Amino acid sequence: MAEEIISATNLISLLIQAQEEALELIKSGSKSSEELRLLILGAKSDIARLTKQIRLVSKEERQKVGPVVTQVKRSIEEALGQLPTRNVSKEWIDVTMSGIRPPQGHLHIVSQAIIEITRIFERIGFTRVRHPEVDWDWYAFESLNMPANHPARDEWETFFIESSLSFRPLSRNPSSRKTRIPGRAQDDNQHIVLTPHTSNGQVREMEKKNLPIRMINIAKCYRRQSDVSHVPMFHQFEGLYIDRSVSIGHLKGVLDYFVKQFFGPQRKSRIRPFHFQFTEPSFEVDITCGVCLGKGCKLCKSGWLELGGAGMVHPEVLKNGGIDPEKYSGFAFGWGIERTYMMKAGTQLDDIRLLYSNDIRFLEQF
Amino acid sequence: MNILVPDSWLREYLKTKATPSQIKEYLSLCGPSVERITKDRVYEIEITSNRPDSMSIFGVAREAAAILPRFGIPAKLALQGVSLKGKESHQRKLKLTVKTDSKLNPRWTSVVFDDVNVGVSPKWLSEWLELSGIRSINNVIDVTNFLMRAFGQPAHVFDYDTISGHSMKLRASKKREKITTLDGKTHTLPGDDIVIEDGSGKLIDLCGIMGGKNSSVTDKTTRVILFLQTYDPSHIRKTSMMVSHRTEAASLFEKGLDTESIMPVFLKGVSMMQELTGGKIASAVTDMYPSPYKSNIVSVNLSKIVSYIGDITEAEIKKILEPLGFTVKKDLHVVVPSFRRDVTLDVDIIEEIARIYGYHNITSTLPKGELPMTIQNPMLFWEEETKIRLRDWGYTELLTYSMISEEQMDTFVLDKSKAYKISNPLSNEWLYMRPSLLPSVLSAVKQNLNIREDLKLFELSFVYELRQNDLPLEKPMLIVVWTGKKYPEAKGLAEALFDVFGIPFPEAIKEYGSIEILAGEITVLYLDFSRLVANAKPIKTYKPIPKYPPIVEDLAFVVPEQFEVGPLIALLKKAHPLVFHVSLLDVHGSMRTFHIEYQNSKKNLTNEYVTPIREKLIRLAEEKFGVTIKNP
Repeated sequence: MAEEIISATNLISLLIQAQEEALELIKSGSKSSEELRLLILGAKSDIARLTKQIRLVSKEERQKVGPVVTQVKRSIEEALGQLPTRNVSKEWIDVTMSGIRPPQGHLHIVSQAIIEITRIFERIGFTRVRHPEVDWDWYAFESLNMPANHPARDEWETFFIESSLSFRPLSRNPSSRKTRIPGRAQDDNQHIVLTPHTSNGQVREMEKKNLPIRMINIAKCYRRQSDVSHVPMFHQFEGLYIDRSVSIGHLKGVLDYFVKQFFGPQRKSRIRPFHFQFTEPSFEVDITCGVCLGKGCKLCKSGWLELGGAGMVHPEVLKNGGIDPEKYSGFAFGWGIERTYMMKAGTQLDDIRLLYSNDIRFLEQF
Repeated sequence: MNILVPDSWLREYLKTKATPSQIKEYLSLCGPSVERITKDRVYEIEITSNRPDSMSIFGVAREAAAILPRFGIPAKLALQGVSLKGKESHQRKLKLTVKTDSKLNPRWTSVVFDDVNVGVSPKWLSEWLELSGIRSINNVIDVTNFLMRAFGQPAHVFDYDTISGHSMKLRASKKREKITTLDGKTHTLPGDDIVIEDGSGKLIDLCGIMGGKNSSVTDKTTRVILFLQTYDPSHIRKTSMMVSHRTEAASLFEKGLDTESIMPVFLKGVSMMQELTGGKIASAVTDMYPSPYKSNIVSVNLSKIVSYIGDITEAEIKKILEPLGFTVKKDLHVVVPSFRRDVTLDVDIIEEIARIYGYHNITSTLPKGELPMTIQNPMLFWEEETKIRLRDWGYTELLTYSMISEEQMDTFVLDKSKAYKISNPLSNEWLYMRPSLLPSVLSAVKQNLNIREDLKLFELSFVYELRQNDLPLEKPMLIVVWTGKKYPEAKGLAEALFDVFGIPFPEAIKEYGSIEILAGEITVLYLDFSRLVANAKPIKTYKPIPKYPPIVEDLAFVVPEQFEVGPLIALLKKAHPLVFHVSLLDVHGSMRTFHIEYQNSKKNLTNEYVTPIREKLIRLAEEKFGVTIKNP
């Protein structure tokens, strides 16, 4: 090969051209990275040939070419480095074979709902707590502004625990009772009840003396009922928020938040007047029907479905929990887990007793 | 309580152009909930137990008159008062002696009619009653039912001629006194019930619940006593519960009725008796009301109202409260009307303002206050963690009732004297709070065996342990069941669980529970979950990763009959510090193959180095356990 002097500009443009061609080739994806490396940077490649020609450039101009060579090689290496590594060889697979599954157990849908509800409230600072399921009448009724024989008690079909030799209703022993049940009257008997609602957790939570309160109490509840929409044992979740200047708007905010998280962002909630002895004002909470979203349809009639009860904590209940109602206020709500879950659009559960049938053909569907 | 309100009857007291569907919607948003409208244009309305004043057509009209204008629909309450003037001129020839007790009976009104013609009611009356769910009987009885449905005040009529000595004495009953009520039922009274006796001492009325049969109005009656009253609510409540007689009258009286409303309703009744039955007033009107109502004033703080519902002015508050019958004086001192005895506190007033203002008009916002400092209950964390692990390991969760039957207690030899028993069970199936999960879970297994033979189920629930003179200890227990003999699975699951809790698997599982094969066909792992949680050490301690590879080998021994490998493995593990891991690899006849790993963290092990250790292991095993090495 004749030794001739070539210009730096010429060589640089040849190098740039070779780089463009190389990058194009890499991008086309037609070859594996090993093949490409050999083709583009190998001893017989254009770039190797052009690199050798540096010595044909005049000494004065050589330093212009050097950095270009480095730059070209680097950009090619980078492009090669970004190529996915390919399987060297592919094996034929019968894709119509059945798969081998990992073991698949099932959580009861009540447990699933409890986990979901707990997570939803955790995100706005409500912590799940636990209070007794079998409790003194004081916490289940009296401290909630429902003294013995109050007509409001009729709304709960309550199970009572029988007195016996090993268990007597608390009575003429004020010293032992005082420590257990602060604030309750001294002179009458205390029965043990199976809690018909989770509201027994309200005064118990207040007694922890840890304000403000943002709690979710989830527990088993019991009522003397059994039909398509009632089972003698079920679960409730109870929200309680106590702070200074708690408003009805805050309750609405929390209800809206829950409804959108649990039922879906397009669902809405509303509150209507109701009555409970332990809240004032008291509300019934409705959500828009999952089918018509509030317009009204054959299923829901009015566009709204009843979800459950709520209200602003009654000053008497705050007092019973040792909280000054002049300084603090709060709201509470408590609903059945099963019922709330069944109202999720698409579950198509129409008989609550199915949930407690313990039939694996039911349990394994969830 | 639900009441049926015919639209035409409602409009007797409510002058409005609102359509039934508007009435339904707006009442439900701000007042009593209208559940539905029937095709006969009857509203079914749910009245809460604190509002006896609304348990009537007039009461609903009063709510509607306050609510509808808030939605831009004019509405007015219309009721023409009735007076006795000009109608009372009849001679007062019939005497009635009345004695009462104002504690039991705050107000008594009565009057005697003569020349009453008992017959059928006019069509409008029987139709209204039937539409509102009351059977029309005769014109006299229908008047009393009209008064109850229209104004929420029960009324009663007696046949004047059946009352001995024309004398009535209201008193508390004695224990075991008997009375036969209108419906023919005979009640033996518990005592301290409100009753009326006549001049001969026989009981003629079980007050507030139902009248006596002996004094009831029949087709032949011509002289009638019309009788309206209020009673001490708790007495009525107690009697009606004790004799299990829940009449509509009782459910009104037990909520406490308005003494002030008695007279206007009584007068309306008198005028209806005259018009519909031809009856003529034949006695003086008796009105015994020794302690008249004193109005109650509740003061509310404007800033408290604002904190509950948002910005609102005093003028707006006045505009909201007055149509409901409240009078708002200076500085928000609110005079409560006599028919609203449920309103006693500032928050009761706030409820009235807020609901009429409209809950839908209150801005919804998440609380902005300080977050509480709370620590998660570890039990709740571990329950969720364990359930999810079990699910992912292929187990399906059961949720069985906490109550079991007496038969189940007996079958499983559970001590009934230490169990909490339900005093008013719904069924014999659900009688005791379970002291063990076994009975209910095994019955669920049995039930599913018909569906599939291979089951892997679990439940994590409380058992209820006796605490002397106290609430039960609610103790969480974990039960896992397999069909068939599945000891290795049960033990393996227990080991995996202990690993999750960071608890070394105990030599005796007894400390935590048991693994048993019941009746040769069901394997049960039963663990005290609270103990697991109490001993949990979820934080793992880092051990440096070995730099040098281990030497691995298998040793096979021939073992005697009924040989337990556990103690041998424990021995081999402790035999030398470089023995890092020992496990049972294989069982074949009388041969047991063990997998041994030697590891030194400081240097690479060579075979020469391990040989003496291996010889020690073999020697120890042969000497202490009577086994023989198989491979040299």
